[in-house]
Amino acid sequence: MEDYTKFKLKRAEELIPLLADKQNIFIVACNKCFKEFETFDEPECGEFERLAKEQGKTLTGCAKVDFLCNKTTTAKRLQSVLPAETENVFVISCGLGIQTVADLVEKPVFAASDSIAYRGKHGMALTKTRCDACGQCYLNLTGGICPIVDCSKSLVNGQCGGAKNGKCEVNKNMDCGWQKIYERLEKQGLLSDFLNQPVQVRDYSKVNFKLINEYVKSVREKRFDGYYGGIHPSEHKEYSEHLSLKNFPEVKTVVIPMSQHAGAPAEPIVAVGDIVKVGQRIGEAKGFISANIHSSVSGKVIAVEPRPHATNGSVMSVVIESDGKNTPHESVKPAGDLDSMTSEQIIDLVREKGIVGMGGAGFPTSVKIKPPKPVDTVLLNGCECEPMLTADHRVMVEYADDIIYGLKALLKASGAEKGIIAIEDNKPDAVEIMQAKTANIDNIEVVVAKTKYPQGAEKMLIKRVLGRSVPSGGLPADVGAIVSNVSTVKAVSDAIKTGMPLIERVVTVTGERIKNPGNYVVKIGTPVKALVDYCGGVTSDDVTIKMGGPMMGFELKDLGVPVMKGTNGIIAIEPVAAEPSPCIKCGRCADVCPMELKPLYFTKYAGTENWQGFKDQNVMDCIECGCCQTICSSKIPIVSMIKIGKKAIREGK
Amino acid sequence: MLITQLKSKETIEALAKGKTVIINCHGCKEVYFPEQEAAELQKELSVGGNVTEIITRDYICNPDNLRFQLKKFEDKIKDADTVLVFSCGVGVQTVAAFLEDKKVFACCDTCPLPGFQGVTPLEFDCGQCGECYLNSTGGICPITACSKSLVNGQCGGAKNGRCEVNKDMECGWERIYRKLEKLGRLDTLKYEAKVRDYAKPFKESKDEG
Repeated sequence: MEDYTKFKLKRAEELIPLLADKQNIFIVACNKCFKEFETFDEPECGEFERLAKEQGKTLTGCAKVDFLCNKTTTAKRLQSVLPAETENVFVISCGLGIQTVADLVEKPVFAASDSIAYRGKHGMALTKTRCDACGQCYLNLTGGICPIVDCSKSLVNGQCGGAKNGKCEVNKNMDCGWQKIYERLEKQGLLSDFLNQPVQVRDYSKVNFKLINEYVKSVREKRFDGYYGGIHPSEHKEYSEHLSLKNFPEVKTVVIPMSQHAGAPAEPIVAVGDIVKVGQRIGEAKGFISANIHSSVSGKVIAVEPRPHATNGSVMSVVIESDGKNTPHESVKPAGDLDSMTSEQIIDLVREKGIVGMGGAGFPTSVKIKPPKPVDTVLLNGCECEPMLTADHRVMVEYADDIIYGLKALLKASGAEKGIIAIEDNKPDAVEIMQAKTANIDNIEVVVAKTKYPQGAEKMLIKRVLGRSVPSGGLPADVGAIVSNVSTVKAVSDAIKTGMPLIERVVTVTGERIKNPGNYVVKIGTPVKALVDYCGGVTSDDVTIKMGGPMMGFELKDLGVPVMKGTNGIIAIEPVAAEPSPCIKCGRCADVCPMELKPLYFTKYAGTENWQGFKDQNVMDCIECGCCQTICSSKIPIVSMIKIGKKAIREGK
Repeated sequence: MLITQLKSKETIEALAKGKTVIINCHGCKEVYFPEQEAAELQKELSVGGNVTEIITRDYICNPDNLRFQLKKFEDKIKDADTVLVFSCGVGVQTVAAFLEDKKVFACCDTCPLPGFQGVTPLEFDCGQCGECYLNSTGGICPITACSKSLVNGQCGGAKNGRCEVNKDMECGWERIYRKLEKLGRLDTLKYEAKVRDYAKPFKESKDEG
């Protein structure tokens, strides 16, 4: 593997005079990037420390920092490590790191290293292939061999004539680039094309620095917009965002799992042969963090047994054969007027009706809206930052009144004063409707957020909208907020207005490999296969089907598994296999991690079962959004490694 | 990590001859890749029916990854007359080296990204001069912060703190002066005049090529 390390310690002859009049020195060393990632210490810091001590210098300490040029993380780190008595800071890094520190620290900062030129080494894979970024790619004339970097004279119109036996006259270790080009073109039968080309003149002004600087500025702004990091995956919402909601046709048999939520599974309270009605409770919450389960059809219970489940292998389920009549249960009746209900009544109703977070995690809503600390804001999450999914989008467009009603119920239940509906700017129609409908409501506001994944994650959304940071290991209530999904409050509204429990939800069926995408109101317990078939099936056998979105969804091997309360989408996409290679410390994962973690460490620690290492790198803060894995230039399955670490820590290792 | 810009539509259209396979690289997309523009252009190219496959992957600059990712499309590629690559120059060369017998064409021009580093573009740049001047200049780089890359002080052309070459830019040497003044270290500037050794970065570099 190549090594693109970009700096080396200055020589002692240069460093000794530099140190001469300085005392109380603090050393900052960058842990180097673009080299095979090892967790041992780089030697430069120790070498410089020794040299300084030999010169009789007092050191106030030293810090070894990853990606020193990452201003956000470096600023935090320096703040916590730099002792007050420090008078001079010496930095071992490339010029970027040194300038970053000089900009952050109020004290004199000195360079203890020189940057090395790495002309053309721009690949993210540490290959020998180089690109000089000349801004006028010649590869189309030269058979894909670059004359700028592969010819030591960067000639663009053919060989200089100085090569001997195919070796360059400037550097005998190098093949003549033009000979390579000639041979490649000859092989491809393109020689005459090349020879007929007019003479090329290199235009050194081609690289438009102004344009580049604008790009750089916009990239920086995007990166810091609202919260640190995040990514912009291809969205492909156009497949289904314009398609109105349709009721999914009744299926004959539904399989309703007793575990569709975070916490303990519910306990079945019906037996084989029982006749049940729509909205009848069939599973009872076991414990505080659990949820009731209700029948989504009327008919006969034909089995109560473990059945395949999308995420949990096999889970106790109630299987009901529908009579096709959809007779509602006696308990399904309006709860009354929101104004006359007490906070306790709302919470009890939400618990009774089995409402859980419908964004995916499935945390019981009744627990969430009764926070242990007072809250001032209920944040409705209408971001739907997962690519492809448009379920929440359609709910906002078609059920705006219900959402506002549900939000009011949550405000009343939690005692919060203010409601905010946060919507990403890729859903202008939803924004428009919500703004119009809330225009005359004093305590409800619509916030439009620039699209960035994972904006819908609680902590990101709170940071983006309220500017508050949830502490490590904390909950939204710690900063006075509750976050709830828009579909969830629509379910709350239904529970109050009609008394109907959470027995159906909106599911987006989409993806480039599904024949007819759509947004459907689907009964809980409907098998995924029914949805896929109804939408025309898949267009190719080469397909991956996931429950959820492409970023955080679960791959389904068995399409017999049922739709659950948290199923916001079924997607059929092109499978992209990956073959992991060793981490090259490109730093992209640390760059995009919205929790400001350094995921690259987890890839090392998982292999060595270094659980303490996982803890030191705050693995429990990870929200498993998958940004790191998506961006990883070595295709390492980082999220699954993180899950291994989290599991071990939960088990007390 | 580089910035890629699409070549002109006419250029790309002229390159797409016969059966064509398109390869997109989204690896550095978060930095800059004109995703939308490329997709639109490829849609137009596809109209004639000659585009037999559009492949979108990331980090095709990694030859192992490229080989692995293209395996699935072996037949389509074999059958193609032309392979169009939308990526930086490293990616195009990696594809061209792997598909040695094919006509592999670049559809993008590649521009440098200030400060090639582990993280997304910084407001600082490093000229990799190989003889760091930051010690004399209060940590502000005269090579990149001064448009003339002067190493012995200001040229005198700045007006109201603005560079005479680029009015959007602050005079780097004025920034250096102010920073040192703030630190009470103006005497640092009394160093002997320096001569920049342009050969130094190459002497130090491990770069044999």
